[in-house]
Amino acid sequence: MNKNKEKLLAKRYSSEKRFQFLGKSAIFMALLFLAIFIFKIFSTGYTAFQKTWLIVPVNFDAETMYLDANPSKEDLEDADYFEISLQSMFNLDKNANEKQQNELKKMVSYFFEREIKQELINDPSLLGKTKDVYITASDDLDQVFKGNYPRDLPENQRRVTDYQLKIFDQLVEQGKVESKFNLSFFTYPDSREAELAGIASSFMGSIFSILVCLAIAFPVAVLAAIYLEEFAPKNRFTDFIEVNINNLAAVPSIVFGLLGLGILLAVFQLPRSTPLVGGITLSLMTLPTIIIACRASLKAVPPSIREAALAMGASRMQTTMHHTVPLSMPGTLSGTIIGLAQALGETAPLILIGMVAFVNTIPGSPMDPAASLPVQIYIWAESAERGFVEKVSACIMVLLGFLIVMNLFAQIIRHKFEKKWS
Amino acid sequence: MSEAPHTVKSYEEELKNLNSNIIKMGGFCEEALGKAIQAITTRNSDHAESVIKDDEKIDKFETLIEQQVVNLIALRQPMAIDLRETVTALKISSDLERIGDLAKNISKRTLLLNENLPKNLVDALVRVSSDVQKQLKSILDAYLDRSSSMAMNVWESDEKIDDLTNLCMQEVIKYLKENEKNLDDGTHLLFVTKNIERIGDHTTNVAEQVYYLVTGEYLEGDRPKGTEPIVTGEK
Amino acid sequence: MIKISAKNVDVFYGKKQALFNINLDIEENQVTALIGPSGCGKSTFLRCLNRMNDVIDICKVQGEIVINDFNINDKGCDVVRLREKIGMVFQKPNPFPKTLYENISYGPTIHGMAQSKQEMDEIVETSLKKAALWEEVKDRLHEPGTGLSGGQQQRLCIARAISVQPEVILMDEPCSALDPIATAQIEELIDELKKEHTIIIVTHSMAQAARVSQRTGFFHLGELIEHGSTDKIFKNPDNTKTQDYITGRFG
Repeated sequence: MNKNKEKLLAKRYSSEKRFQFLGKSAIFMALLFLAIFIFKIFSTGYTAFQKTWLIVPVNFDAETMYLDANPSKEDLEDADYFEISLQSMFNLDKNANEKQQNELKKMVSYFFEREIKQELINDPSLLGKTKDVYITASDDLDQVFKGNYPRDLPENQRRVTDYQLKIFDQLVEQGKVESKFNLSFFTYPDSREAELAGIASSFMGSIFSILVCLAIAFPVAVLAAIYLEEFAPKNRFTDFIEVNINNLAAVPSIVFGLLGLGILLAVFQLPRSTPLVGGITLSLMTLPTIIIACRASLKAVPPSIREAALAMGASRMQTTMHHTVPLSMPGTLSGTIIGLAQALGETAPLILIGMVAFVNTIPGSPMDPAASLPVQIYIWAESAERGFVEKVSACIMVLLGFLIVMNLFAQIIRHKFEKKWS
Repeated sequence: MSEAPHTVKSYEEELKNLNSNIIKMGGFCEEALGKAIQAITTRNSDHAESVIKDDEKIDKFETLIEQQVVNLIALRQPMAIDLRETVTALKISSDLERIGDLAKNISKRTLLLNENLPKNLVDALVRVSSDVQKQLKSILDAYLDRSSSMAMNVWESDEKIDDLTNLCMQEVIKYLKENEKNLDDGTHLLFVTKNIERIGDHTTNVAEQVYYLVTGEYLEGDRPKGTEPIVTGEK
Repeated sequence: MIKISAKNVDVFYGKKQALFNINLDIEENQVTALIGPSGCGKSTFLRCLNRMNDVIDICKVQGEIVINDFNINDKGCDVVRLREKIGMVFQKPNPFPKTLYENISYGPTIHGMAQSKQEMDEIVETSLKKAALWEEVKDRLHEPGTGLSGGQQQRLCIARAISVQPEVILMDEPCSALDPIATAQIEELIDELKKEHTIIIVTHSMAQAARVSQRTGFFHLGELIEHGSTDKIFKNPDNTKTQDYITGRFG
């Protein structure tokens, strides 16, 4: 008898050890995958936060700009900066032929005219003088400076010519090439030119979509959940509704995109590619998530609180609104934020309703066309330019950061309310 | 009332124990009274001495029952019938103990008597004491059987005992007046008669307790009393 | 004087009958105890008196329960007003997760009993004093109600119940979750409260029922077996079942 017991005991201990080992290895594997993924993203993306500038001397010659001696502010705005800009680039190699001059021009972004103009407007006293101006390097040179460019390929297979490389190396030796923090990544909208592309438009697009989604989904979902949980009679019909809500939570998001396309755009004729339509579509998706979270946290409120309120002579409405709902708020809010975080990452439905169009302006309201962060990632991932590769990873990092912040927010709110409750 | 047993067996045991202790104590009292009467009517000093010695047993019972009652109250918080049983056990044991003491006293005085007693005196004593013995037996049976009617009978018979006691008293006083030499014995006999009456009273007390135990109510009114005792002489 | 009169009350949970033809009168300004083994229906009966059984969907109440000449099982009865007049204290203390002040002021607020903050302050103070809790908590009225000990929480619930000046207070095993000292404090409180309120208390402790109540009702399997003065029930009950229960011979 005892021996049997001993054997069984030993078996139990060993199976427990095995299980613990399996669990630990599972966690280890998961963390490993996660670590590899994050490492890849970060190593590719961190360079996007640096921008390469060429420091080029510019001669602010008044005559070339068709300006007189004391120009007014409007004169400075209307002046023609094209010539002096070209001149400054050509001056890098005074012996350049026409073809080479063309290549010199291609070494900077097409914003260079604007950058030079901005320099003068900031300091009108530069008129007639020469100053070193920071000009955005082209995306290819930017990649060369970051070391991402395959310099050893034969020339006809690259976008950067040997000549450009020669001038570039010269500038590097002269210390005329600098890498600074890429603020424009955050403030510029999307652009065909990789060096100028930023996430401002898609970031705002995402924010507007989420705000619209929140404004629609939250009140509707919470009120629906309160009604279903507290007031609705428990019969077959309400069971049916509950089953359907649970199922809706599992519907693939692209179906909602089709819904948006078919109804919001075709029937209601709402403007295409706008965060308004995107937000409405996302809210349809998020509704079941919030309803389920809200119902669960309403269920979790102990019935003793409800009974206490009812026994005090509170009506059902008062009991629900004064006691049950406030106590269920932490759970509801966390569920909402998690639902929103999911909505933030949705790509397929937004593509279908058109938020994939190339948008190079920053949207000022939910009615302006915009993209969203995940869609932006999709667009950039499709592009051929090398400069977009790092930007894709950087955009992923921004998106992940956003998600982490939202989830942290959910944790803090939950913690704060739970403390208050207990 | 049902006699379904208590869920807690030890409680049931304790109450049964209490009950049997009362009965045992009553048995010893009966024995003591019987021997004491025999001792005085047949002048048997062995009986008298054994009564005196055995009174210790009766006293021990009272202490034991008291402890049992205190335990029951503290631990079991008895209710209804159990409460009545517990409380009446305490009072009945006290009355029984007094009966034992009175029997002992009768025996002590028996040992101090000098002369033989005249027949009429002995007859009177026998009459009253046999009645008292009968009532004592009857009430102990009533307790055992939980009979309220038997208890009521005993309670009502106190009247008769008082009458018989008075008659006995008369004989003793006559005895005292007869001869100066009878003074010592006569005095003892006065006390003996009184003691027998007191035993009757205690028996009636027990009857009241048994009635309360069974019915939960108190016997109404004053006890039926016999004629007033004789104070002065000739009647 | 009779405060509440229950006539031919039957209660069903779905198809199962829980209470059979209950007829019971509750005296005003006295404590009535309801005793009986678990599942005998005493809590169900208690909850009929303030219509708390309405909360349970499958529960059906039949018969008359007359309070102040009005049958509360009538369709026209305003349950909210009824519960203002009949308060309830539960087995496990359940203060609201709000401040102490708010716990007490909630009832008067929703019933519109105070016109100004000062009046509300007075109501809160009076209720806490009547519940013998004022001295212990007067300096921390704005702390959460859940920060008190078990006995204090139960007294808080009692204060909350009396804040709306009910005529009747229902108590469902109020001391079963408390230690002996807290229990004694509650019993003392009940003694005081009965001067101005009618109290009905469900309890599992026979000794407690005997101590605090003047009248007692014994329930068994949904029937009211015996009711009468507490003195009689605990010293000399008429019914065998009653005696068997209170002496521990069954159940």
